[in-house]
Parts: sequence; structure tokens; C-alpha cells
Amino acid sequence: MTNRVVLIGLDGGTFATLDALMDEGVMPFLQAFLASGVRGELLSVIPPLTPPGWASLVTGRTPGHHGVMDFFRFESPHNSYLRLVDSRDVKCETIWSIISRQGLKATILNFPQMIPPRPMAGNAVPGWAPWRHLRRLCFPPDLFDKIKTVPGFNVQELAMDLQLEGRAIEGSSKDEYEDWIQFHIRREQQWFQILHYLMQEDPCDLTAVLFDGVDKLQHLLWRFIDPAYLPAHPSAWEQRIRELCLAYFRHLDGLIAETVAMAGSEASVFVASDHGFGPSTEVFYVNAWLHRHGYLAWAVDAPEDATEAGRLGLGMIRRAPVMVDWSRTTTYGLTPSSNGVHMAVAGRRGPHGIDPTEYERVRSRLIEQLYQLTDPVTGGRVVTQVWTREEAFPGPQVHMAPDLTLSLRDGGFVSILKSDVILRPRPEVVGTHRPQGVFMAKGPGIRQGLSLPPLSIIDVAPTLLYTLGLPIPKDVEGRVAAQILDPGALQRSPIVVGEPTQIPEAYPQRPGHKEDKEGETQVLERLKNLGYVE
Amino acid sequence: MVEVTQEQIAADLEGIFHETMGDWEYSGEITPDTRLFADLGLESIDVVALGGAIEEHYRRNFPFAQWLIQMRDQQVDDIRVKDVIQFLHDNLKNPSVGESQ
Repeated sequence: MTNRVVLIGLDGGTFATLDALMDEGVMPFLQAFLASGVRGELLSVIPPLTPPGWASLVTGRTPGHHGVMDFFRFESPHNSYLRLVDSRDVKCETIWSIISRQGLKATILNFPQMIPPRPMAGNAVPGWAPWRHLRRLCFPPDLFDKIKTVPGFNVQELAMDLQLEGRAIEGSSKDEYEDWIQFHIRREQQWFQILHYLMQEDPCDLTAVLFDGVDKLQHLLWRFIDPAYLPAHPSAWEQRIRELCLAYFRHLDGLIAETVAMAGSEASVFVASDHGFGPSTEVFYVNAWLHRHGYLAWAVDAPEDATEAGRLGLGMIRRAPVMVDWSRTTTYGLTPSSNGVHMAVAGRRGPHGIDPTEYERVRSRLIEQLYQLTDPVTGGRVVTQVWTREEAFPGPQVHMAPDLTLSLRDGGFVSILKSDVILRPRPEVVGTHRPQGVFMAKGPGIRQGLSLPPLSIIDVAPTLLYTLGLPIPKDVEGRVAAQILDPGALQRSPIVVGEPTQIPEAYPQRPGHKEDKEGETQVLERLKNLGYVE
Repeated sequence: MVEVTQEQIAADLEGIFHETMGDWEYSGEITPDTRLFADLGLESIDVVALGGAIEEHYRRNFPFAQWLIQMRDQQVDDIRVKDVIQFLHDNLKNPSVGESQ
């Protein structure tokens, strides 16, 4: 078997950054790749965030259908505590599962929502996995022992380190920037080494790898990456950090080049991101604003924002529910990442909250008030867009969504912390998400040197299925990006619409899993019937 | 419904720990008094992942987030294996959380 289709994910990849890097000669391979392929912006979902973005990209479905809307979700319908989203929360079938059912194989490296592992044909090393648990979370179960043999393998660099992940959001000491960038260079190399090993040892129909340092560096170091924010006369230290950022992208360009070379000239290669990036210059304290308007009461011991930059650690986010006096709160922001506002409706998560008959009236009034929020200095509107849950998340999972989702004028995330001000300029510009991600493709039957109008992120999955020669399940919302194809390609290989996707099980049995020995034969038989194993 | 005993839960937990511990820097015995943070050296994200492993094992959800925050608010500075056993035993008597979402 050969590596027929390769998907290279760049978490947070944006042409705002990549074009400048290509122009400077930092990413020469990517420049050449685009000269012989196609490019276009890839429009993300609401909100443009890693979990819903990748979930949409790999299912071809919108968040209202697949149900992933944030890093977190309510743990229970009966309380307001939060847990991280995982594979059980993806309510639509992924392309990994679809192609497995069709008798094809995939290798998937570092994608989110891969935990707990789901049965598939091929190999999966999940992203967002704590290193102590990575062995248990790889699929198939013996994969970890194989990748341990890869030269230079270092599980602690490969897997998730919460302290390091947190720094992308919470900020980091300037003394640590250099080590932090170097760490991400080594980490991408770790993932590439595994990719290289599996592409050689077990070629698959679809190979997908996600490089996520792009997101991490842009969050923390935007002012060193975006030429518009570079100081006219940088200090030696600023020049050093800038050079290290360029070194990261130069290294990434090399990894992409080697991946494409390994795939060979007959392979189709796609590069895509879950969302774009841009600068954020201020902090909007949404809960402080709700408090000022009488919607929210703080718990007695709710801490003030000690950072004055709206920073909130991952641990603190999970404690957000205890920052609020629920008996006197009707509306609250629960996580910064969702830019969501939840309404407490009596009977929904407890006895407290507004009367359900008042819901529409209160929500409409809240939307009006949010649009009326202006910068006291400039008079400019701070909240530029407010979506109701029905507008942002139409579909069967709409009940999981915040009641309102906000877009801010600087594209940033809200802060949910307590603050004595509503709006605060950031001490330094940071990077934050934008809807405009990237799409690039090159390969047989794909047009060359073409810049396309924006594509939708939900079009990637059906486009990959088409490229693999598979029918597109009729319930997939995205469509094949036919505009990337050579004239006549569709006549030679028409798009075929096939059977609908299958709804994933919450707790699928895994063959070879230790606690499953007794039922293993039955499970294998069932998986065979589903086409997962041969 | 057959009640799962604390002894069975302890055995289940031991199996879950040992499934991954080959890669940890801990080779001691795991007893009911073993502390997750001080003895096993876990970080908070490991406890979250451990919760996922437990949920996968029992094929149901547990209110781990609520429990962990309550433990912290009660000034509990570490979690012992027997705390986890008791939590699971209490919850296995009750319907799963989160399934209707």
C-alpha cells in the first residue's frame, strides 16, 4: 500500500502569518507547494476554536450537529461543573471511522477528541493526552510499544504537558520564551518522527498529522511574528525571540517538505487549519459587565483578576462555577474560550434562574444591552456580533450551546474573571483566533497555482473522501470542493452520494483492551460486521 | 442491578493503574492509602485522564469535576485511592450523569 492522501493540520494556521513568512524566505517549501497547488482561506465555525474547528473538519458537520462547541462541556444536566470534551462528545462519525468502514486504513497523529480511542482500521496517537496515559490511549493498544522504538522518542515532549499548554493561554515569563519556543520545535520533531516511522512501516490510505505549535506560538508571541507589531528598533532580546520564532516556522517548513516527499508524487496532500489568527489588544470582562447590569452576583470569595490581562489558568476555568452566587445569578460567562453567555433558567440546571416564560424577553433585552456597550474613550462598539444558540448552533445538539455567543471588536476572547473595570487594554498585544484559516492542496487532478475564494471547513472531510474515491455520506453537511479540481476531473470521477454516516457509540468496545478479554471475540465479530477490521 | 463491591472497585482501579504504569516513575505498591499526587506523582490533568479511564471501564459517566472541586473546597490536599473507591462506590448505586445531554 502507498500513502495515498495526506492531511497536514496546522493548528491556528493563517495566511496573515504564513504569507509574510513565505515572502521572507522562511518557508520556501510551502511557497513552492502553493505554486504547484491551490490555496484559499478556510472559514471556521462559530466559535473559531480548536475543538469545534477540528471536529467540524473531520466530520464535515457543524457544531450544532457534532456537539463540540468549546474545550469544555457541562459534566451533567444537573449541575454547572465542567469537564474537558473528548471523543465521546463527538456525536457525528469522523472520516477516520467512515473510511475504516469502507475497508481503507488511516494513520492519525495528534488530533484532538481522540480520547478515549475509538476502533478504526489503522493507527491513532491522540493529541491532548497526558504522557502518563498515552500508552492506554493509543490505538491499536500495541501501538505505543511500536512508537517507543522510534529513535529519540520522548513521551514527555510528545504528549500534553498541562503547564506548557496553559502558558499559551495564561501567559509566560519572558525569561521562558526561548526555552518554550525550542520545546515546540522539538515537539513537532517528535510527532514527525512518529509520522515518518508509520508512513514507512505501515502506509495508509489516509495519513493525518497535526502540528499545533503554530497556535501556541501565535498566542503568546504574536508581536514577534506579525511584522506589523515588530518594534522599529528591537532590543537584542527581541531580535533573539523573533529569530527563534522564524526558526520554528523554518523547521516546520522542513517537516512539511519531508512529509510531502515521503508521500510521493502520486499522493494528494492537503494542508488545513482549524481557525485563523490575529492580534488582540484589549480584555472585555463579560461577567463584570453582567454583574454591573444586575445579571450576575459574585460568590463572596471570587478572586479579582490578579493579572490585569484577563488570564485564567485551565484549573481556574474548571472552578468558574464556584465563582458565582447561583442563587442571585441569571446570566454568566462560563469559559473564556467559548465567548459564550449562559442563562440560568429555572428548572434547567437547578431551581434558580429566570422563569422559562421570560426567557425570550430577557435574552432579547440582553442582546440589546450587549450591542449598546461602547468604549468610553472612542465610543466604538465592543461587541460586534451576538448570536443566539439557534443562530450559531442549529442542529440536534443546540441544547449544549451557550444561550448567546459573542464576537468582540478585536476578535479576542472574553475574560470571565472579576474585575473593577469592564474593558482594559492589554499590556502587550497577544494572538487570538480569527475565523479565516488556511486550505492548501496539491496532487493528481488538483489545479495548479490557483488562489480560490474562501472554502468552508466542513468541506474538507467530503473532499478527502472524494479524493480517496469514496462516496460522500448523504447526511454530511459539507460538499466536495470541486473548484480545486482540474477541468474534466469530475467527469472522470463523478461525486457519488452514499449511505448516511453512523452515530458513534458513547463507549465502543476496543479489541485487545485489557478489561475486555472475555467479550473480545464477540466485539471483533461485531467490528468485522461493521467493516472496522478485516 | 448487581452492586459492585468496594473490593471489586479496588481491583478495577489497580488494573487501570497498572495498564499504564510501565511508563511511570512509580514502582511501589498501590494501597487504599496511596496518595494520587504525593505518592504517584500525578498532576491534575492525570486525574482527569484517570477519570476518563474509569468511565471507559464502567461504560458510564461520573460527576468527577463536581467531586474534585468539592474535595478542594474541603481543604483536602491530596486524594487517596480509598477516596476514589468510596466515590465510585457511592455513585455506582446511582444513575449515570450526563447521559441525557
